[in-house]
Amino acid sequence: MDATIFNQDHILLDTTSTTQAEAFQAIADLAASLGYVSDAKAYAAGLKEREAGATTGFKDGFAIPHSNDASILKPGLFLVKFSHPIEWAALDNQPVTVALALTIPKDGGKEHLKLLSQIARKLMNAEFRTTIQNETDAVALASSVNRIQ
Amino acid sequence: MSKKIVAVTACAAGIAHTYMAAEAIEQAAKEKGYDVKVETNGSIGAENVLTTEDIANADLVLVAADIKINPIRFSGKPLYVTDSNAAIADGAGLIDTALKDAKVFGEKGSKVGNIQIGNDHSKVNFFTHIMSGISYMIPMVIAAGLILAIANVYAFQRDDMGRIVKWGFDNKTAMGGLMANLFQVGQVGFKLMIPLFAGFVANSIADKPAIAPAMIGAYLANDPTSLHTKAGGGFIAALIVAFIVGYFVKLLKKIKWPHIIQPIVPIMIIPVIATLFISLIVFYLIGEPIATLMSGLYAWLTWLNTNSTSAPVIIGIVLGGMMGFDLGGPINKTALIFGTAVFADTMAKYGPTHANFLPQTATQAAISVAPLGVWLASIIWKNKFSKDEKVATTAALGMGLVGVTEGAIPFVAADPIRMIIANVSGSAVAGGLVALTGCKFYGGIGSPLGSFIGYIQQPIPLITWILCVCAGIAVTALIIGLTRSPQVMAAAKEAV
Repeated sequence: MDATIFNQDHILLDTTSTTQAEAFQAIADLAASLGYVSDAKAYAAGLKEREAGATTGFKDGFAIPHSNDASILKPGLFLVKFSHPIEWAALDNQPVTVALALTIPKDGGKEHLKLLSQIARKLMNAEFRTTIQNETDAVALASSVNRIQ
Repeated sequence: MSKKIVAVTACAAGIAHTYMAAEAIEQAAKEKGYDVKVETNGSIGAENVLTTEDIANADLVLVAADIKINPIRFSGKPLYVTDSNAAIADGAGLIDTALKDAKVFGEKGSKVGNIQIGNDHSKVNFFTHIMSGISYMIPMVIAAGLILAIANVYAFQRDDMGRIVKWGFDNKTAMGGLMANLFQVGQVGFKLMIPLFAGFVANSIADKPAIAPAMIGAYLANDPTSLHTKAGGGFIAALIVAFIVGYFVKLLKKIKWPHIIQPIVPIMIIPVIATLFISLIVFYLIGEPIATLMSGLYAWLTWLNTNSTSAPVIIGIVLGGMMGFDLGGPINKTALIFGTAVFADTMAKYGPTHANFLPQTATQAAISVAPLGVWLASIIWKNKFSKDEKVATTAALGMGLVGVTEGAIPFVAADPIRMIIANVSGSAVAGGLVALTGCKFYGGIGSPLGSFIGYIQQPIPLITWILCVCAGIAVTALIIGLTRSPQVMAAAKEAV
């Protein structure tokens, strides 16, 4: 994994969010503080808009919220684990505890976008999901994600 | 027997669900021992592209996409279409369903070339029908509105002192004659846009046979002479007509017509029946209520006007709110007619010093609030409006500045309830404030520009009027921005 897309700083253990809107804001604040988006509000709105199209929550407490709105500066992946399970209208109707959020720039380099799509594919791997779900240590989490090629 | 499956996946952003769906289909097919090849149409371009040979050898073509995928290359193959989430939720289940329910694409009876792929039925709703109509209406609103707006500026006749003495075109001069003609052009556009809108909303619901009845019905519903009323039903009546026609035609299509007349059903039978049906509805169920509504409202306004002399703000708020309600429809027209009538009547009886300016001033202050409010909202909440909508709000700005309230119609038609609340609130604020401050509108343009292009008596010259109207605009913009629903935004994007 390319360190400019994901590194240990991109992991957040969110103990406060209880709603999807708060979760989006937490994700957006993280992405903005690391300089991946120019405007946290706009990115949060982008996440909400994408969610309105169809849910990004899928199985076993995982969601992959993402946006390609104009506020996004560079491609990135953010791993946020929620202490409070969040209602997400996921495909299996389970609340979400892990979000792998993506920032997708409109004119991102092909290699970087390809990496983001590899992450999406990896999420369909049940073993990978179990590892991420059970691991609490940031260093170990980071190394699991980093193994994605 | 092992089966060969080919699939195409795609999603809106082209990064996440395209690949998750592909992965899900690949995994499920492999577990079942099927041959599988999945083409991903992501934002990095199509990968693993299906060849003609792949498709020719396949037992099933599966499309799991949230955007339109052109199906023409799958002609003659069993095709099953769904969205990306269906694959992600249950890849194995999807393959089983698809093998069972796939239909040969391009078979007799199915529509080739015009098929909607990737748009499942849940996405075709109230809003997408309206948006379809609006996308056809917007160019006409803009063309007619801007020409009307230009002509409108020339409609004020001034005396030697430069004061505006009356509204109307001076046909004695070449310029005045030309502008009078251009004003006509704009009005024709406004007259046509109502049936155009209804026709294409109905087309979205029930296809071509619904266009003629909806256009005729909406024209009648908006034509005061046909209805024997003081005003037509405006776009709200058009919306009602479009939905009645759309679903009525849909119903007619379900009838098992005798084989022999089937070829003429869509071009003759359905249009004739539906046109008769909607015309009767318009005359007896839409025309009468509009006439009753208008005379009732008029009587009520007269009562209110005589009984609220101590609190002019009330009549200002009421008339302002009415202006914003249906933008050129019966309620708006009643307020406008009332304002002009009271002004003309009291002017003739008591002269300019004692004439009752209040109703006309309130209606004029409210006239530009809706189009300028939606424009302001699109400036503040940029990402809540699609590209096409932003073009329309820019045109609304042009129209609003010269007091053409119709510029806001596409947005109200798209989301009636929220937009009417927003427009009525802002228009009422503008109407109430000018009443409260005692502005007197003699003539000119009813937008903030009225202070410059018009003759308005006000406590603080120029500023009072501008502040009052802008306060209304701000209220409308605020409500629009805060309440705009994701459904409307999604439908606006879909319509492009």
